[in-house]
Amino acid sequence: MQDYIVQMNQICKSFPGVKALENVSFDLKAGEVMALLGENGAGKSTLVKILSGVYTKDKGEITVFNELIHNMTQKIANEKGIAIIHQELNMCQHLTVAQNIFLGREPVKYGLIDNKRMNKDSRAILEKLGVSIDPETITGSLQVSKQQMVEIAKALSIDAKVLIMDEPTSALTSREIDELFNIIRNLKSSGCGIVYISHRLEELTNIADRVTIMRDGQFITSGSYKDFTMDQIIAHMVGREIKEKYPHVDCEVGEVVFEVKNINAGRMVRNVSFNIRKGELVGIAGLMGAGRTETTRAIFGADPKENGQIFLNGKEIKINNPKNAIAAGIVLAPENRKTDGLCIKLPVRENISLPNLDIISNKAGVVKLKNDYKMSEKAVQDINIKLPTVDVNAENLSGGNQQKVVVGKWLSGNSKMVMFDEPTRGIDVAAKVEIYHLMNKLKREGIGCLFVSSELPEIIGVADRIIVMCDGRITGELSRNEATQEKVLTLATRFENKISN
Amino acid sequence: MEKNGLLKRQLSKQGMRQVFTVTCGLIALCIAFGIINPLFFSQRNISNLLRQIAPIILIGIAQSFVLITGNIDLSIGSVVGVSTMMSATLMTKGMNPWLAAFFTLLVSLLFGLVNGYLVAGFKLPPFIATLGTMTIGRGIAQIVNNNYNTGAINTIEKTAEAVDRFRNFFYYGKFLGIYNGVWIALAVFIVFNFILNRTKSGRYLYALGSNPEAARLSGVNVLKTTTIAYLVSAFCSYLVGITQCCSAGMGAMDAGNSYEMYGVAASVMGGVSTLGGTGKLIGTVVGACIWSVLQNGLQFANAPVAIRNIVIGIIIIVAVLLDIIVRNRKPKLADSKKQ
Repeated sequence: MQDYIVQMNQICKSFPGVKALENVSFDLKAGEVMALLGENGAGKSTLVKILSGVYTKDKGEITVFNELIHNMTQKIANEKGIAIIHQELNMCQHLTVAQNIFLGREPVKYGLIDNKRMNKDSRAILEKLGVSIDPETITGSLQVSKQQMVEIAKALSIDAKVLIMDEPTSALTSREIDELFNIIRNLKSSGCGIVYISHRLEELTNIADRVTIMRDGQFITSGSYKDFTMDQIIAHMVGREIKEKYPHVDCEVGEVVFEVKNINAGRMVRNVSFNIRKGELVGIAGLMGAGRTETTRAIFGADPKENGQIFLNGKEIKINNPKNAIAAGIVLAPENRKTDGLCIKLPVRENISLPNLDIISNKAGVVKLKNDYKMSEKAVQDINIKLPTVDVNAENLSGGNQQKVVVGKWLSGNSKMVMFDEPTRGIDVAAKVEIYHLMNKLKREGIGCLFVSSELPEIIGVADRIIVMCDGRITGELSRNEATQEKVLTLATRFENKISN
Repeated sequence: MEKNGLLKRQLSKQGMRQVFTVTCGLIALCIAFGIINPLFFSQRNISNLLRQIAPIILIGIAQSFVLITGNIDLSIGSVVGVSTMMSATLMTKGMNPWLAAFFTLLVSLLFGLVNGYLVAGFKLPPFIATLGTMTIGRGIAQIVNNNYNTGAINTIEKTAEAVDRFRNFFYYGKFLGIYNGVWIALAVFIVFNFILNRTKSGRYLYALGSNPEAARLSGVNVLKTTTIAYLVSAFCSYLVGITQCCSAGMGAMDAGNSYEMYGVAASVMGGVSTLGGTGKLIGTVVGACIWSVLQNGLQFANAPVAIRNIVIGIIIIVAVLLDIIVRNRKPKLADSKKQ
């Protein structure tokens, strides 16, 4: 019988107008991985933020290491060894790895920072984690996955006994995920309790010991992971059964809607040619850094391209900037909603109408507010964005709902060709299915539809045709019938023979 | 949709709560000054006060437009100087005042154009780009009349009458008992507020300030939008310059000195963020009123200039501090549970 290291009892938390948590209970034992599951906005983040002292609870009890804690603050959480690794990395990009690890707790000698010790201690922690990172490298120059390791190292440096990970794998490749899982297993065996939040249910098999499922701010159930089937977990999360995780619709395939020929844009996009026919949904698969995002950005005019032709319905289109592309009806829902997708300080309504203002304005450029509201309310309904009103700021939505706003803003115009870059990153199962349905709807309407995805089951399940890229080139195409994970991966790793000298 | 009161509906809009708070602050200030010295509310002072507010409103609008796009315009004061000096010099040389005003307008707008291109076209940090044009502008203001302030603008017989009419139009005349300068500021506010809130260009300005990359990827022409903001700023500064020329009846080389900072003060007190993307023009107007009421009221309360400066400085900091405190208490997730 393991000891409970964290017990949260009947936790309630309200924000003005919303009940975020209602009598939620949660516990964690030493040396286990507890998966905390739920849809976007179910209250997972709120719960762990209460545990780590970011928010204060309204009601309920928190017991950590058998000690009842009345006023949890971030400071107390730190002292008790509760560390949280947020979904978005919180690193000072310009500082070194060691400086980040010891940020705010720098070792001091004679009133000055003891760099030697700081670097030495950082190296020891990193070695314990089994990652080879020089503590004196600038954090920003590391890959995202390595930065994540630094975050974990930072958590361990305060001697964390409870480690909360919020969507740690959303920015990692499958190899990096394996690395992360090894680290998690190590931590587990050293007695650390881990709260693991993820929307990628597939990965749970590898690490989860127990699960706690939440929905709409309420505790639904918890138990040993192996007592649940995947379908049961999803049903608990969504509150109903999802019949098809990857819905697919067969359409009659017609003429070519969209075609690109020999596009070159830097090292990451080399001689890319492909086409999309009416009634088909095309997926682009590949490893991280294969040039998929760069390809869509080059087509959209977000980055300059050296040469190449773009055809829409047989007519060649010149695209020098995103404005040209949008005017032609070619749009891109970008991958990173925070940096590329949303103006987070603006209301959802203004975000949705931003690329579509030409449609809802009169000739003098005056926006017709009625149409503005109509457009965003329709988008909210179509893709089921959860929000109180369309006038709420985008920054006040949870990640998944923000993602839906990004998708929604591009579907509200009269687009003829829609490109999605990782449209389901960081969103829950039900919302994913809604996005798939949306893409299917587009293809039924004869709109060209292309999506980039790093999730193989998704791309194999939803796409009619899969284009695989590696190292900036297209290395192959697979039809829906012939696609298997192995085949996609073989193509995705077909690197050019690089001859040195 | 349920029917809310007008006030409540306005308050629910982005940034309006801040405007409401500062309006309350403004009213409180007025009452306080009225108690200290009842003459504060005399018709004469109110009329004067309004005339003092007008240029600050224009300067505030100028800076707000640029701040909303996430940039800053340090050249505002210098454009005021150029506008005053150039129009005054041309008039002392016997040019028709309206024609002089027209040429001055072109030169002033050139500042906006250059600022916009330096910032959005050549990607210069706005602080540095406009620091440059600010210094250049002051130099131009000094050079147009060979390093001297101009003489009186209505001494040339041929144009004296036209110049007087011109001065009446911009400054000394009244309409419905209120000085024309106030009406001009009001008209400018109405027009630019409409542009900011109801037109495509206005939306683009906010989007650019909130997230330039997302705006660009949404088809916003960054160069054009940034330049529009700087042009509006230059235009409003130009109007202030002309007004100063009219009120003094001459051109002063140091006209408009440090006005860009008054613009920042009015904007931030009214809830415009220097980080871009947020703020309402009505807030800037209230901010400008607070600024002028403080100046005027402290004068009436017999506070020396030094004390006035200290008090105003403190109030700027407190106003923004209060807003930050209120903002930090705001709930984070509005969609945690759909009601």
